Amino acid sequence: MSIFTLQSHSFSPVLANVHSYASELFEKDSVLGFFTNSVLVALVVLTLVLWFARKATKNMTLVPHKAQNFFEFIVEFLYGQVEGIVGPKQAKLAFPLLGTIFIYILVSNWFGLLPGVGTIGWGESTGFLSVKAAHDPLLRPPTADLNATIGLSVSAFLVWLYLTIKEVGVWGFIVHTFGPKGGLKGIMGIAVGLVFLFVGAIEIVSIIIRPVTLSIRLFGNIFAGENVLHTMSDLMANTGPVGSFLGSIALPLPFYFMELLVGLLQAIVFTLLCSVYIQLSTTHDDHGHEEEHH
Amino acid sequence: MISATPIIIAAGKVDAIVEKFGLAWGKLIAQVIIFWVVFTILKKYAFGPILAMLEQRRQRIADGEAKLEKISRDAAEAAKSSQAIIDKAEADAARLVKEADDAAKALQERRQQDAVASANTIIAKAREAAELEKEQLMSQLKREFGRMVSDATSRVTGKVLNTDDQTRINQETATQVSA
Repeated sequence: MSIFTLQSHSFSPVLANVHSYASELFEKDSVLGFFTNSVLVALVVLTLVLWFARKATKNMTLVPHKAQNFFEFIVEFLYGQVEGIVGPKQAKLAFPLLGTIFIYILVSNWFGLLPGVGTIGWGESTGFLSVKAAHDPLLRPPTADLNATIGLSVSAFLVWLYLTIKEVGVWGFIVHTFGPKGGLKGIMGIAVGLVFLFVGAIEIVSIIIRPVTLSIRLFGNIFAGENVLHTMSDLMANTGPVGSFLGSIALPLPFYFMELLVGLLQAIVFTLLCSVYIQLSTTHDDHGHEEEHH
Repeated sequence: MISATPIIIAAGKVDAIVEKFGLAWGKLIAQVIIFWVVFTILKKYAFGPILAMLEQRRQRIADGEAKLEKISRDAAEAAKSSQAIIDKAEADAARLVKEADDAAKALQERRQQDAVASANTIIAKAREAAELEKEQLMSQLKREFGRMVSDATSRVTGKVLNTDDQTRINQETATQVSA
């Protein structure tokens, strides 16, 4: 197992030793080789989300109870945001995915801030139930695992493709992407058509890149947050037991608040970008329709 | 001819990335399945009922607003109609009071006239009775006076007066008394 650290030529290592990958909890080559610490947390997140959703939607009444009220607030807020971007028609179809993405990412991100996540695990033993550093932590937020973020972005991409084809059709999508706008005829029309053909090719590349950017952005932010928190926690590790203890509490504290914000922000960014992608490809070309009417 | 070296280098870099970030189909599929389980269950058992409940509440609020508007409209109409009823009642009351006043005045006048007429009748009757009584007294007085004059005359003259004398004396006395 490789150790990922950044080292300076003139200073001792500053960044914490946080793996860029999720650690397997079973033998890598066994049947359960896929079961990593991030898969474990993903299952915990799944359980938490479904437990709360069940609690919120059980015995629903017009005058909501606390859990129902809170869940309704989240759903209503998200639905309003999604509807504002993709429109009322697409919101009904796209909201379940976008709502799930937001909730899943937010809970995963914030789960990573719980004490023990990333710090309890296996490492070089220094005594009974004590390790120098948790090289293979038991828990790791799914959004700090590139497998999970790629899975999320590919899922979003598939739903985007389904909604787009359903709304405008394959030919409509091709026309929407490559079709010339402006209604010019003759030589200018051909020239503009070539330009739009080129623009369409660029658009296709950008569409293919979208899952990559979505997944790497989310992974990068959360993984970087993990690194910052671990680094700040370990910054006073060599100042004796008291200094180390106080430093591990005081130094990362401001960054916890920042990571709370980053976790929320990344969930919003991922969801809003998916909404925008859906809106861009499912919007009908009104100019084209107007021209047809004329 | 295209050299295969860049492809090999690119493949090597991909392998390095895959190894560095622990990418593996099994892990990816496991994460996708977990996410889709969350998605499917939330879609069916959470978002659906919650959105239906929000819609139901929105509908109830809209119905409530419509009812409230109707109630306020009805209240305004009721206020308008009740004002009209009050105005009509006031007008009727004023008319009735005026009619009663007129009727009372007419009755008072009629009663007054009746009373005046009754009084006049009573006065006339009293006057007639007084006249009659006066006449009776006068005739009685005349008779008594004539009788006294006849008495006095017969005593003075010592003559027994006959009926003609008495009649003549009585007539002369009555004439003088009347004068």
